[in-house]
Amino acid sequence: MTSSWVRISLIIICLSLLSGCWNSNELDELGIAVSVAIDKNDEGDYLVAVQVINPSEIATDAPTNRPPVSTYSTTGETLLDAFRRLSAKSPRQIYFSQMRLVIIGSKLAEEGVMPSLDFLYRDHEFRTSFYVAVAKNAPAEVMLSIVTPYEKIPANKIMNSIDNVQKNWGVSKGVSIDKLIADVRDKGKSPVLPGIDLLGDPEVGNNMSNVENVDAPTKLEVDHLAAFKEDRLVGWLSEMESQGLNYATGDVRSTIVTHPCDDEGTISVEILRTQSSMKSKMDGSTPEVTIMVEAEGNVAEVDCKIDLGSPESIQEVNKEVEKQIEKTIQSSVTAAQEELESDFLGLGSAVHRDNPTYWKSVEDEWDQQFTELDVSIEVKAKIRRKGNSTQPINKEG
Amino acid sequence: MDKGSTDQPTSSLLYSSLNDNVTMVTKRLGESSDLVVRHISINKTPCAVLYMDGLVDKNTVQEYIMEALMLDMPSKRASVKALYEKIKTASLPIGELSEVEHIDELLHRLLSGETILLIDKEKKALVASTKGWRDRGVQESTAESVIRGPKEAFNETLRTNTALLRRKIRDSNLRMDAKKIGKMTQTDIAVAYLEGTAEDSVVRDVHKRLENIDIDGVLESGYIEEYIQDAQYSPFPTVYYSEKPDTIAAGILEGRVAIIVDGTPEVLLVPALFVNFFQSSEDYYQRADIGTLIRILRLVCFCIALFMPALYIAFTTFHQEMIPAPLLISLAAQREGVPFPAFVEALIMELTFEILREAGIRLPKPVGSAVSIVGALVLGQSAVQAGLVSPAMVIVVAITAISSFVIPAYNMAIPIRMIRFVFMVLAATFGLYGIILGMIALVFHLCSLKSFGVPYMSPFAPFVAKDQKDVLIRFPHWGLFSRPTSIAKNNETRTNPNSKES
Repeated sequence: MTSSWVRISLIIICLSLLSGCWNSNELDELGIAVSVAIDKNDEGDYLVAVQVINPSEIATDAPTNRPPVSTYSTTGETLLDAFRRLSAKSPRQIYFSQMRLVIIGSKLAEEGVMPSLDFLYRDHEFRTSFYVAVAKNAPAEVMLSIVTPYEKIPANKIMNSIDNVQKNWGVSKGVSIDKLIADVRDKGKSPVLPGIDLLGDPEVGNNMSNVENVDAPTKLEVDHLAAFKEDRLVGWLSEMESQGLNYATGDVRSTIVTHPCDDEGTISVEILRTQSSMKSKMDGSTPEVTIMVEAEGNVAEVDCKIDLGSPESIQEVNKEVEKQIEKTIQSSVTAAQEELESDFLGLGSAVHRDNPTYWKSVEDEWDQQFTELDVSIEVKAKIRRKGNSTQPINKEG
Repeated sequence: MDKGSTDQPTSSLLYSSLNDNVTMVTKRLGESSDLVVRHISINKTPCAVLYMDGLVDKNTVQEYIMEALMLDMPSKRASVKALYEKIKTASLPIGELSEVEHIDELLHRLLSGETILLIDKEKKALVASTKGWRDRGVQESTAESVIRGPKEAFNETLRTNTALLRRKIRDSNLRMDAKKIGKMTQTDIAVAYLEGTAEDSVVRDVHKRLENIDIDGVLESGYIEEYIQDAQYSPFPTVYYSEKPDTIAAGILEGRVAIIVDGTPEVLLVPALFVNFFQSSEDYYQRADIGTLIRILRLVCFCIALFMPALYIAFTTFHQEMIPAPLLISLAAQREGVPFPAFVEALIMELTFEILREAGIRLPKPVGSAVSIVGALVLGQSAVQAGLVSPAMVIVVAITAISSFVIPAYNMAIPIRMIRFVFMVLAATFGLYGIILGMIALVFHLCSLKSFGVPYMSPFAPFVAKDQKDVLIRFPHWGLFSRPTSIAKNNETRTNPNSKES
């Protein structure tokens, strides 16, 4: 009895003492990274910048004039090499599990992002839910050293902006790393990534005085989508093309469709719900893809003489909206098939789903096949409500 | 009824001479100052009245013994035998009157507060029950207060306590088996149960375990509890206690066995299951819905009190990725400049709280407020302001402390207090992994316990579907149709569910 007790308690004591708290880190020993910028320099080395937060500046009642985040950048032969080199510059161990955003420099994007994605996906410290974006008009590491007004953590600002654009406008969308990797590996679909624009002078944006202005001179903005072919950046979509892509893939949650009416004014419809599907049919030996979009919305802004009380004019509006959306999607299809030759709409996936046997035969030359594909677009729009007034307020009589 | 006292060794009999007897008693008691010996003479026969001052009700002795013997006796002289018989049968207007022949028995009765009448030339003594000493009276419960429900509590007198139970259960099957435990204290013990409802095996077991106790003195029911409990080395209590007659009566009605110890307001109740310690008598007095919700709340509080500091340590030192980003930033900001690791910080705060709590219990009331000021202001606020501990840790310790007070049974809060520190060490060395390992060990341990033959974790393990009606959820009283099957297998029916107003 006694000896067994002694033995058990010895084992317990040894277990807890010998383990030595492996992997334990106090919160104040961690540099919590919120975003990472990756690019390549001219020598072909990886260039890595990390934005770490300064917690006491963010969660405090008495802010000082120190910046809420700090950026450290370094270069290295591989990504891991570069990340480890950061330890020479950062006072704390950098902790990546809370990372929100990876910004890829355009040079790296043009060369191919897959090698860097492997590390971000493989390492256990990274979550697989962070967004990936492309720096459009400035080096990626510069994007990380901009102090943003209103939202203290720049990475959160970008992430929230991406989400808001997707939710309310539909001209861009957030892409998380697992989605990006899935798209790169999918032969029937090419990835797209949102772009980030730098407005103003980066030198000013790097300074806390940037946010002391009501209208900060240097800002970050979410841009339209960047189209990839496999893992290489091939071009930027316009606003209309980006929106068309989102319509086609069902990623538009809410947006505005404006069309002229009566040759003199415009009418704006707020789209509140869209549903899309892509169906493929074999027409003899060639496939055909139909993009079907159903949209529902409200009349939101009327600047012309139209009698919204009559069902005919509502029909009219419906038709116009359908035409507009169709045009938007068509522009995207044209960009995919003719300009960029990248199947970012996922037409190949539709063919794969509906005609798997045919897909097997064209899988490997889909890049060429797809430019010849017949794509038809069907849009159904439905106006649900007309707002608080049936008639435009400037209507006479 | 008097099973406990009959098995005393037969000792020397009383002498026939009054003087011999009185001298013997005074000698045996070392001429104690509180022994009162009153020599009187009835019809010229020398007699003596003996009692212990302070243990008897003086009025009773005065009015019903002294007066009856000295004033009301007929003057006609009779033989000693006839006088003895007359006094025994007719002269003493006292309810409980008995006779003793042995000196030890006489001494014992004398020391229990009874009055002895010795008559010259008579080898038997008359013993009148005149027990009466100062007690607190039946007062409001202080340790287990309720909003709705009886407020009365047991007190230190065994007879009062049994009467309180009798007043609640007027059933002829209510048994009060008497026992005496303690070689020197000769403490009276009553074992109360409902014959035919309580399991015979449990009643027998209780008697057996009580009889096995060999101790010099029993001053509190805790002495008894430690002798009869099943798991001697477990921190978890396997004997329930309460100072409220309604709680104990409810237990007896369920088929449990109560053990009342003289001198203790806390009455023991066995068998005790884990879930009993999370139930309060008020659950049954308030409406069923709130009773159910409160029980769930208590279980949540049990988990908070047990795991909160450990989880905080595990999350902040091992699993930062599991904390939502804004919370992590806030926690990290609070930890800036705190000189200790989270584990040491938690240990300091928990220990501080335990010190404050212990100091608060022991201190006299006027000093108590000083402690709370020091505790709340100096330790809470100033420690944070001085940067010794993070505010989040103060919150964690506070919620832990408050949660541990939610558990109605104080003796269940004690293992939580102790095991909490084990979990903190596990969390600091292995993180969540350690907490889960500890939890598995804890569940194993709890499932291995038994209380008087009943599995401690029943009706969860083993699972008894029928008994779930009164564990986490409390059905309305018309739905509590049967007694808990793990406790009372016979006489199961409690109510006819159809007798409610539909």
